[in-house]
Amino acid sequence: MKALTKTLLLSLLAAAILAGLLQGDPPAASKFTVPVTYYKLPNGLRVVLSPDSTAPTVVVAVYYRIGFRVEPKDRTGFAHLFEHMMFQGSQNMGKMAFVRLVQENGGILNGSTRFDFTNYFELLPSSKLETALWAEADRMKGLAITQENLTNQQGVVGNEVKVNVLNRPYGGFPWLWMPQYANTNWYNSHNFYGDLKDIEAAKLQEVQTFFKTYYAPNNAALSVVGDFEPDAAKAMIAKYFGGIPASKLLPAPDLSEPRQEKEIRASRTDSHANRPALAIGYHMPARNTPEYYAMGLLDQMLAQGDDSLLSQELVKKRGFTGSVSGGINVDLGDMFDYSGPMLWTAYLTHDASTKPDDILNAIDGVMSGLQAKPVDRDLLARNLVKMRSYLYDSMTQFGGFGRANLLSCFALFDDNPARINSLEANFRSVTPELIQSTAREYLRRTNRTVLMVEPGAVKASAAGKGAAQ
Amino acid sequence: MKVLFAVLAMASLPLAAQKETPPPGGPPKPFHLPKTEDFSLPNGMKVTIVPFGIVPRTAIRAFVEAGGVNEAANEVWLSRLTGLLMKEGTTSRSGEQLAQEAAGMGGQLEIDARAEETIAGGIVLSEFAPRFIGLLADALRNPSFPESQLARLKADLGRELAIAKTQPGDLARERFFQVLFPDNPYGRQFPSEDDLKSYTVEKVRMFYRDNFGAARTHLYIAGKLEGDLHGAIQTAFGDWPRGPEPKNISAEMTKARSLSVIDRPGSAQSTLYIGLPVASPVSPDYVKLDVMNALLGGSFASRITSNIREQKGYTYSPRSQIGTHKHLAWWVETADVTTSVTGPSLKEIFYEVDRMRKDPPSEQELQGIQNYLAGLFVLRNTISPDALIGQLRFVDSQGLDRSFLSSYVTKVTAVKPADVQRVAESYIMPGKMTIVVVGDKAKIANQLEPYETVVQ
Repeated sequence: MKALTKTLLLSLLAAAILAGLLQGDPPAASKFTVPVTYYKLPNGLRVVLSPDSTAPTVVVAVYYRIGFRVEPKDRTGFAHLFEHMMFQGSQNMGKMAFVRLVQENGGILNGSTRFDFTNYFELLPSSKLETALWAEADRMKGLAITQENLTNQQGVVGNEVKVNVLNRPYGGFPWLWMPQYANTNWYNSHNFYGDLKDIEAAKLQEVQTFFKTYYAPNNAALSVVGDFEPDAAKAMIAKYFGGIPASKLLPAPDLSEPRQEKEIRASRTDSHANRPALAIGYHMPARNTPEYYAMGLLDQMLAQGDDSLLSQELVKKRGFTGSVSGGINVDLGDMFDYSGPMLWTAYLTHDASTKPDDILNAIDGVMSGLQAKPVDRDLLARNLVKMRSYLYDSMTQFGGFGRANLLSCFALFDDNPARINSLEANFRSVTPELIQSTAREYLRRTNRTVLMVEPGAVKASAAGKGAAQ
Repeated sequence: MKVLFAVLAMASLPLAAQKETPPPGGPPKPFHLPKTEDFSLPNGMKVTIVPFGIVPRTAIRAFVEAGGVNEAANEVWLSRLTGLLMKEGTTSRSGEQLAQEAAGMGGQLEIDARAEETIAGGIVLSEFAPRFIGLLADALRNPSFPESQLARLKADLGRELAIAKTQPGDLARERFFQVLFPDNPYGRQFPSEDDLKSYTVEKVRMFYRDNFGAARTHLYIAGKLEGDLHGAIQTAFGDWPRGPEPKNISAEMTKARSLSVIDRPGSAQSTLYIGLPVASPVSPDYVKLDVMNALLGGSFASRITSNIREQKGYTYSPRSQIGTHKHLAWWVETADVTTSVTGPSLKEIFYEVDRMRKDPPSEQELQGIQNYLAGLFVLRNTISPDALIGQLRFVDSQGLDRSFLSSYVTKVTAVKPADVQRVAESYIMPGKMTIVVVGDKAKIANQLEPYETVVQ
């Protein structure tokens, strides 16, 4: 949190400079503030309330601070398999009863497993808030599942891996595969969707142990967003969650990655693909530092939208590909919903007649431009507008779930969900000079991993991780 | 025995485990659709403006009746190429300028051609909405169709086509619609490589001339409404020529049992598409079908999903849905199932279809799904400005009165158990279904044998 004071000062300077430079069109001040009430129950549960009466609906989201980074080393994919087990039965709810309860009350629900959390959420009529809180508290108290439930979900998850990775071209490209090549620490570099044999080997006892270890109120955040009375919600939360005992949490493992000093190049053969693909991944600056916010804007400049530098260079000028995709925490979230080492990634498919080195040379040209001198102020201003629009979208998307996602993550990772309202100022404080120095350190070639997908039959020996060059 | 066991297990587990009853909560608050402002310009262009939310972003989308249905048999994706080329510049702006100006408003100019229409627009910060309307009008009215960009865009579409042909879902979808809509543009998902290569700027210009204009366009604006939107619309679109009149499209759909197997050696799963034509949105049976579909396979707790996913573990993401074109609809169940249980998956899907056709659901099961659809209706109209526009566009494109939306929940609630059984029996006929399976033929041929012959 040391960075915050410095950021605030820079923010004032930058705002003054920008306002002076863009005649008649200064960046408008933020017109939207998210209401945030934050407190903790005696058992450690972090609670965030954010009323919004736009629609008669409410989001209930429970985030547990356990993601797929940290799972038993002989059980890849276990954190995600476990997420499925949270729908298989709790003390008062049999298999499928949770799903039925939400549906029959006019709501939808889901869960997901990410780098640093596993979430469970409902979006339902606001009059059913108490029903959803009761149900989430019920499964926080404990699971009541059978071997039959586990076997069933091992089948379901196996099919999930097949449909999303094994039975399609570019299945794990780049979201699942890139971290495996770019990182060196097991927590960041293992197959987090899971080897099928690990998924199949999971035992019921391991499910119970994982629950006891990580699924406790003092390792969780509960966010409520939507049309509700805060005092009534507080009373319900105290009633249903207050009695759940805290547990003794394990010390956090060391997730750190060393500074990368040498470019990594890797390729995988993909038997389903008929066109090559190429991805680049760069290690990110640490969260919440000035450089981190600069990378957020560099991501906008480089890879977000038709106007982005990589899109203009690789798509429009060179015709290497039809589109460039990319982002921070790509395909699994964004720059706000993780806590640990992370990559900025960009990727594309291309024709066999295009040489990967030609694409990489063109990318190097774009990066050199950003590294050579402070970025053009109009370009920076445009990307601030893009970021502002993105932030507003995040704060409201999917009936308020996007806001619950930010609030829950900031409660879990920073103990400060109110920082949702200072993000825009953090981006405004980024100067052209900071963009340049960030590009020099973080977009340098030696901080980069290049992952190529080559069409063709998979050789038995290369079926696993692919051959690193 | 297997099936009986599954049903018993589902019924008994909650009973055995239930100790505390969930608090019921209150009745849902009344929900009123936001009031729209609707008007037409003298040139025939329709406009709908609707306030949405408190965040300063505004969705601006023009729906132009120019899509796949307007293509000849050897012109598939010509509408897509037209949309792509429209983004490459106007008579006064380069493609790069269009992209940069839209980005400077916090949005992007998106132009996507679909089966029946081209959707052009974007979401921008509300303060820029009037300016974006001007930009959108320039792109729609004054495209320069630069020859210099054609080869690149055709190469991109060619790459996309090649990759689509490796995706099991795309292969299944292509065949399903080929069979469902024989000799009809709705049945043509992909062009041939040769046709794609033959497209010229001249062809694109002709497609544009024949299909774009004010009379074919409906502009929707949803979001926090700021600035002089009416003035901006008038200035930007008021003198757009009326252009071609909307075209009536008709299509015959196949209602006959068939099994298509597409061999994809090495597949870990079989991709299933199973469906047939049903009553369209203008039929009084449509909402009843909606309820029936949600019970059968259209929701997480639905019968087919409970069976093949939550009981048997054959698949991850099975679902059924009712798809629509103008005055046309079909029901389809899709699933990617483990190769070794391809036959058993089909067996269970047909088992659930038969059960739905034979017996009315219990009052309790029906009530649950009615509540679900009532809640979902609120979500569909409130989760995002684009979702709201989607609802309005659905009704307008079907030529329905907007009261279709305001009376939807009442109609859902009025459905009786016997209605559900009747629409299942009348429409969801196994003997009339198109079945498509994409998978490893050598491993699934035996399993598919029972489905090659039609059992009425």
